[in-house]
Amino acid sequence: MRIRSIAACIALCVLPFPAAAQERVVVRPEPGTPVVAAEVLIAVGPADEAAGKEGITYLTARSVTAPIVPILDSLTAQLTVVQHKDAVSFTVIAAPDTWEEATRTLLVALFRDPVDSLATVRERTATAAELEAREASPADALARQVDAAVFGQAHPWGRAAVGTAASVRRVRVADVDAFLRAGFTADRAVVAIVGPVDPEAAQALRGFMDPGPVRRTEVDAPAPADRPVRQQYNSITAWVAAVYPFDADADEEALRMLARLAVERVSFGPLRPQVYDSRAEVTRHAGGGQLRLELVVPPREVEDWAERLSAAVAEYAGEALGEAQFSSRLRRFRGERMLELESPEARARALARRVLVTGRTTGALADLDGLTAERLHRAARALGDPVIVFLGPFVEQRRE
Amino acid sequence: MLNLAVAFAVAFAAPDTVPPAPAGAALAEPAIVVLRQPALPIVALRLSLLADDPPGYAGAGHLMQHLLLPRLEERVARVGGRVQAIRTSDAVVYTVVGPAAELDYLAETLRGVLRAPAAGTGELLAAAAAVAQERSAEREIAPQYVRAALRARLFPADLPAAGTDAAMARLNTARLDEVWAAMYRPERVSIVAVGDVEIAGVRRAFRDVPAAAGEGVAPLADTVRAFAADTPQATRGWFGRGWNAPGADPAALTVTARLLRNHLRRRMTRSAVDVEHWWTHHGQGLALVVATADSLVPVARRTVEGSLAGLRDNLDERLVRDAAASVRREMLFFARTPERMADVLGAFSDRGEEAGSAQRFYAAVARVTEDDVRAVLELLLAAQPAVVEVPAQRLNRR
Repeated sequence: MRIRSIAACIALCVLPFPAAAQERVVVRPEPGTPVVAAEVLIAVGPADEAAGKEGITYLTARSVTAPIVPILDSLTAQLTVVQHKDAVSFTVIAAPDTWEEATRTLLVALFRDPVDSLATVRERTATAAELEAREASPADALARQVDAAVFGQAHPWGRAAVGTAASVRRVRVADVDAFLRAGFTADRAVVAIVGPVDPEAAQALRGFMDPGPVRRTEVDAPAPADRPVRQQYNSITAWVAAVYPFDADADEEALRMLARLAVERVSFGPLRPQVYDSRAEVTRHAGGGQLRLELVVPPREVEDWAERLSAAVAEYAGEALGEAQFSSRLRRFRGERMLELESPEARARALARRVLVTGRTTGALADLDGLTAERLHRAARALGDPVIVFLGPFVEQRRE
Repeated sequence: MLNLAVAFAVAFAAPDTVPPAPAGAALAEPAIVVLRQPALPIVALRLSLLADDPPGYAGAGHLMQHLLLPRLEERVARVGGRVQAIRTSDAVVYTVVGPAAELDYLAETLRGVLRAPAAGTGELLAAAAAVAQERSAEREIAPQYVRAALRARLFPADLPAAGTDAAMARLNTARLDEVWAAMYRPERVSIVAVGDVEIAGVRRAFRDVPAAAGEGVAPLADTVRAFAADTPQATRGWFGRGWNAPGADPAALTVTARLLRNHLRRRMTRSAVDVEHWWTHHGQGLALVVATADSLVPVARRTVEGSLAGLRDNLDERLVRDAAASVRREMLFFARTPERMADVLGAFSDRGEEAGSAQRFYAAVARVTEDDVRAVLELLLAAQPAVVEVPAQRLNRR
């Protein structure tokens, strides 16, 4: 068993880039992985956006990368752009013979090229249309309500990181150009490379990076809602979210396990046929993060399920699991966590995010071997009261 | 800088293999292929039974998958793993992915699918209903219908995975252990393992596969309902063309498919165009599927009719080189997780090809020349294509 644990650690560890820029360009050489995944994270987002220009980060990211899509297509490379609260993520997946060219093309577009006005106008139209369609989605509505409840209405992270259709339509080409120059700078970026690459091959990327720690815009402390938030939504089902904010020094891996165990206790099953859907997520950003649990249930039962969600977490805070119980749960969690990282792009994303949030460039991608019943217990006990959000038609309340 | 040739070789490295024991040997064993990928301590185990359904019992393999899957999923979930069950034209395939440290447990669980399921009436009815839905879906929606109808024309012996109505009625009352006995032989089992495992461990994990279970059911006849009797749903005009290409070099045929797709997509920007290389133990061919607006159907049909000759007239070495590179990169992209890599390697072994054939195919694609593609095009131009067309449905005006 010990040999297996050591083998797992070796397989999950990251080789630091042995040069001055090591904290900004991290390489995880993986002989045998068929492709290379490069993750570029730039610490720019809603906190950097002026009032009325919400979503300009995402629009800029799409506008500046749109002209390189044909080049990446010709290299059979794939690019994905995702906007997070604290950073914008660019993921390139390419074959071993084209990853350097594909990644360099992306970095030139981000840090050297000016914006293309035609591409910006086209992306603005497309983005606004997509956001308009999403605004009617209950999942998006819940995410917006949860963000506002967890961070506070006035907090930059309390609104959608991609902005709204209306705010994106207000952004002009000149705004995007100015934002690109001010916000998309190399001193805010980290790069993680995963795949069959020689660490020395990443040397070429150093020219794009500035030495020193990542520059990021400081944000105010969140101001979570101190009572349940209830949002009317025209639907036949209702959504319940329980969100537990945590600090920077929280035990993230133990919280991930806790999130899975807790949501398992309230998920669909023979004893809970009324639960339509359930979800658990742990998100991390500089200074802390959140453990989010969500359920889709009949509208009449939302209050009851909010209590059950809280009780599911409290169960693990009450008493540490016995060894046998913990082992069987850890066995399952270990597998699920491993499978989350099965693609090279998932590993590149996890690696880049860890560098951005903690500055750590070495160590295991997922700290599973040291998980104990006691750590799980401590992590559950350290959580405060959840922020509760309801979204739905609230049949009973309307009758009153 | 890492040598690129080395990088490719590493990605599609020749796996360790144990060939199957000869049929009829006293202790028949499955063929085992292992590709070690130490990047993450997980393993994908792909088990395939290389067998057609017994004559008269089309859909038997897939029905048993439906019966076995719930228990398989429940057991694999205990270690945080995932299961996939697919009936291909070549084999009954199960893939499990989970922690490499659970190799023995996952293998033991997988070995459970090598016995006939002991199903109650309720389970059997539920599974039969699920398979019946899949059978209907193949004929209800235009994209699936076009492909199924083309396949039936190109490879008549390749019956639908979901079987036929008559065969399913037989299966409802048949003894499943006898049906299974007609399909199962240990030497027909093929294992592909990709991940942080060694060949010795995989061999040990699969050393005890069940023995063959006798003769099985007597063969009967399968009757497939004519596709012309169906009216699939279509909001656009759909048409398919299929060419049998039994003698073509598979690598050249794959590159030709990519070239033909690129050629047509450049010329049919308002249509959806797919060109696929179909390759099973029943044979190989090229399938072209196009969907286009109702008003564009006549123009699109003309473009498709002249596509092979058009490609031949515009072909050059650079186009062939670019298409081959694109195919190779897409293979790598597709195979970027252990599960997908096991699928790629397994698809080759399921056709009864030798170990290392996926790697040889990958290398052969890079060597395809303009002359190779021209030879394939001449072969296709000389053949009579199978034709399937589905008109867009129109609402009746009152």
